[in-house]
Amino acid sequence: MLHLVKLELKKGGLRGYILGALIAYAAIAGLLMLMYFVKEEPTGSTFKNQADMLSAVNTLVGATFIVYSSALLSKLVISEFKDRTMTLLFAYPVSRKQLIFAKLSIVFVWCFVAIVLGNVLLDALMLTVNHFVGDLASVLGTTDLLHQFGQVILQAIGAAGMSLLPLVIGLPRRSVAATIISSIFIVSIVSSNNAGFALSSIIAIPLSLAAIGIIGAYLSFRNIDRADVA
Amino acid sequence: MTYTIRTQMLSKSYRSADVVSNVGMTVKRGEIYGFLGPNGAGKSTVMKMLLGLVQPTGGEIELFGEKLVPGHNEHLKRIGHLIETPAFYDRMTARENLELHAEYMGYHGKGAIDEALRMVQLIGTDRKPVKQFSLGMKQRLAIARAISTRPELLLLDEPINGLDPEGIQLMRGLFRRLRDEWGISILISSHLLSEIEQIADTIGVINDGRLLREVSLDSVRESTTAFVEISTPNVALAAYVLTEKLGLDQFKQIDDHTLRVYDNQVSQETLSKTLILNDVSIESINRRHHSLEEYFFDMIKGGDEHAASRQAGA
Repeated sequence: MLHLVKLELKKGGLRGYILGALIAYAAIAGLLMLMYFVKEEPTGSTFKNQADMLSAVNTLVGATFIVYSSALLSKLVISEFKDRTMTLLFAYPVSRKQLIFAKLSIVFVWCFVAIVLGNVLLDALMLTVNHFVGDLASVLGTTDLLHQFGQVILQAIGAAGMSLLPLVIGLPRRSVAATIISSIFIVSIVSSNNAGFALSSIIAIPLSLAAIGIIGAYLSFRNIDRADVA
Repeated sequence: MTYTIRTQMLSKSYRSADVVSNVGMTVKRGEIYGFLGPNGAGKSTVMKMLLGLVQPTGGEIELFGEKLVPGHNEHLKRIGHLIETPAFYDRMTARENLELHAEYMGYHGKGAIDEALRMVQLIGTDRKPVKQFSLGMKQRLAIARAISTRPELLLLDEPINGLDPEGIQLMRGLFRRLRDEWGISILISSHLLSEIEQIADTIGVINDGRLLREVSLDSVRESTTAFVEISTPNVALAAYVLTEKLGLDQFKQIDDHTLRVYDNQVSQETLSKTLILNDVSIESINRRHHSLEEYFFDMIKGGDEHAASRQAGA
């Protein structure tokens, strides 16, 4: 199983994804800075307090990497069907289910790690900035930070599961575009922030969507061992 | 006699359409089996069923003496293949593609990749990404990939496509070598007899999903009849002369200018002399063999007629 993951990574092009992730972090950091420093005078700062700021970080990172993961999903699964290299893979003395599982677990782990890491880095950045600038007065205790970390982990699991959901749309069409667009659609519903409220903040929603994503991916490939590969 | 491939009543149908019906083919160990049939005859589908890429809807397949069970894939280690257009990871180099292939196949023979690349004469270009390759080069690389794990069976679907005459020569030599030196069984499909008649030991003719006949080429060569072909502007007169003056009845009018005489007793010289003495002008006269192409063409046409009459009767 690990061997299959290794072989997937060997196919290359993933270094570009890591670089892309770093650029995405930087872009999110820039956006957060704008939100932090640019104020519309009567209402004050965009963030009500530090907890609010951290949850904004979480939403932004989550939304970004759900879409980003759909690009990885397209590369690892959809494109292989489209370029017919999947036919090659399916004629190897390797279980097709394991092959697909290896691919999907790369997407899942990638999305999870990128979100947790992004949260840690950007939270640290924002808290440091706030420490020196001090616009947001409320103090965060250890419990608050632990609570926030728990939220991040749960959201990351939710996002990683949701990142598989576009497969259900993109796979039957063998379409990279459909995969990525459906991920944007998912994000725009789940992570859009209306007056401080996003669906994703009710943790049950991303987690159940994640469950749907995982079940959907399972159903897509349930019969793969006996399926005809055109 | 050991068989590498044996199928019985092998069938595949999609909804109502039968793509392959009741194919019973046998490929002996160490032979080159030419799989001949027009486009859409079901050649690729049979090959995909052998690889497990398509599940049969009926019949069974035996590979290397063992019945194929769905979900079982150990036998795939022993098969090299090239099905349809060659697919590669384009950004990777030729060599990396072959290395990846070996990993998936679980083959770790040292030097096998070099040897395979050398055999298809791609050794200088193996560090280039595949996306820079021409179709012909990809085709050769796909063959290198297929043989790089030293398979016992090679499935090649139209492997000559996209190759230049030089490449075709190279491949023919290579296939013979693989058979003779490594003892590989090769199943090679084509819609052109001329592509495979020089290398195949056995030819299986498939049309409309049915295997019409399986024959060894040697026996076909023996049985294909010799005849004398006469080209003349006056076929009617020539026919009259042949019947009346020479007492022949085994001849056939092919078209307005051509007659074929199947009687081997009468010499070409007698024929031309008699015809000319009776005022039949001759444009050409040759002793010829019924070409293999015609033999198989007749077979495919005959198969169609047979099927048509069967359908009409049903």
